[in-house]
Amino acid sequence: MQTITLVDVLPRVFADDSIPPSEVWRGHLMLRKGDVCLVEAASGGGKSSMCSFLFGAREDYLGRILFDGRDIRTLSMDEWLATRRTSLAYLPQELSLFPGLTAMENIRLKNDLTRHVPESRIGEWMERLGIADRRDWPAGRMSVGQQQRVAIIRSLCQPFDFILLDEPVSHLDPANNDVAAALVAEEAARQGAGVISTSVGNHLHLNYNRRLRL
Amino acid sequence: MISKLLRKNTSPARIAGFTLSNFIGLAIVLVALQFYRDAGSIWSDDDSFIRSDLLVVNKKVTSSNTLGGSSAFTESEEADIAAQPWSRRTGAFTASDYRVLASVQSGGRGMSTYMFFEAIPDEFVDVPRSQWTWRPGSDEVPIILSKDYLTLYNFGFASSAGLPQMSEGLMSSIPLTLTLTSDDGTRRRVMHGRVAGFSNRLNTILVPQAFIDETNAELGTGAARRPSRLAIDVSSPGDVAITKYLDAHDLEVAGDKSASSASFLLRVVTGVVLSVGGIITLLSLFILMLSISLIMEKNRATLHQLLMLGYPARDIARPYISLAVWASTAAYGLAVAAAFALRAYYLHAIEGLGAAPPSPWLMPVVGAALTALIIALNIIAIRRRVASAFF
Repeated sequence: MQTITLVDVLPRVFADDSIPPSEVWRGHLMLRKGDVCLVEAASGGGKSSMCSFLFGAREDYLGRILFDGRDIRTLSMDEWLATRRTSLAYLPQELSLFPGLTAMENIRLKNDLTRHVPESRIGEWMERLGIADRRDWPAGRMSVGQQQRVAIIRSLCQPFDFILLDEPVSHLDPANNDVAAALVAEEAARQGAGVISTSVGNHLHLNYNRRLRL
Repeated sequence: MISKLLRKNTSPARIAGFTLSNFIGLAIVLVALQFYRDAGSIWSDDDSFIRSDLLVVNKKVTSSNTLGGSSAFTESEEADIAAQPWSRRTGAFTASDYRVLASVQSGGRGMSTYMFFEAIPDEFVDVPRSQWTWRPGSDEVPIILSKDYLTLYNFGFASSAGLPQMSEGLMSSIPLTLTLTSDDGTRRRVMHGRVAGFSNRLNTILVPQAFIDETNAELGTGAARRPSRLAIDVSSPGDVAITKYLDAHDLEVAGDKSASSASFLLRVVTGVVLSVGGIITLLSLFILMLSISLIMEKNRATLHQLLMLGYPARDIARPYISLAVWASTAAYGLAVAAAFALRAYYLHAIEGLGAAPPSPWLMPVVGAALTALIIALNIIAIRRRVASAFF
């Protein structure tokens, strides 16, 4: 996938409201593979909605979203699932870890599907993010910050052209933010991929070449 | 790992409930079906010449017939029968219009008897064409005899006259010499008869229609005669409307009526039992669908998260499909085993009644078809439910 284009997109719930000026909603926006893009918004501005629209998890928007020029409403379920395995990675704000599975099992759940990352590199990433000792803890018994780091690793365990990160470091300290940013930057650079990261204030420490106000 | 996640909230009790009810329903269906086939052979094999839905009717003979009244059917009576809703078609019996002398030579002893022939249109006779044809000019004619004649001979005449008893097979192998003579004695024809079989339901001596037509033209008086017996192809032999009509018009049905009403009763009883089994099977299908739906509904968040991770829908459906396949297959295996066990139990009893049970291959095949249907419907329902967790 080379481009993601948003044409006149607006969450349906905003349709009757007068919304503040936005660089995303009701505009014409094209994101290219290789862009490192920060989407800043106040809480309630619809950034999680935007991520859900882009990931095909919700369709309650007006306008059109195009992947390489194709309207994503026309993608079948199987096409969406293939996209999620091979070209679009996503870290949801709510993390969506299985609380009954351990940190490692949660990561493997994705990596067993894609066979993208060798197990040794997953161990190395956990080491760098300081959660290697939580490897076999059930995710439900970990702190939110620790869970966030597990989810970051999981989102990197697949090939992607774009990675969507919805408030990826909201519960991380600056040191871990730097490590997470380095991991994302390394993987994105290795694959020549684009990064779309959202933030309400504490944003992932990347060198953004685009900053959009939602 | 994903099947561990997806199997959460599985209730063994509900799955066992399905297996049990599906087993009971399927077993009832299979036993009823098999019993119908096994027991049906008591009646069905008794007459392979005349189809069971064929009735042969004649007028009751009363003193008025003897004193000049006719027992023949008039054209309007025949048309009236043909017009009844239960009558698919009718065929008239054509009698021979000449004298027939049959003689047998065996071991130097000769026997001869006067007799007669009748014919009905060939489509009413259920004998392979090759055995029931008569080519014009041929001097061998196939004959179907009433089994009553053989019984009368064997147990009435032969034992009192000191003659040997004869089996059906022996009778069929004896060459009969037939001498056909016109009523005035001026024309005659000699030919061979071959007994093609014996019938329980035809009280006559039956020859092919073409034979009667030719010999009547050759040796008969030429006078047109109305038939005194009619063959009726009925849509349902047990229909009470038929009995009512026959009683109202003083008509009699030839052959054993009790056999057809018993087989009709068997059909009704089997139909009732089959429907009960069918309903139980249908209910068990719903139990399975509901149980799996309930598990999937409880695991909806899991399904949704796996779809968000990009798991192929078929991987997510697989644990549920295998659950349905295993439960249904187990119920099928138990039901077939139970049906065979029950069959072994009743088989001895009905063989004593003269049944010749057919090979039971149909029963497991029907069971497998029903099971395949249950599995297929579940697979469709499971796939739909996976898709519904996409958003």
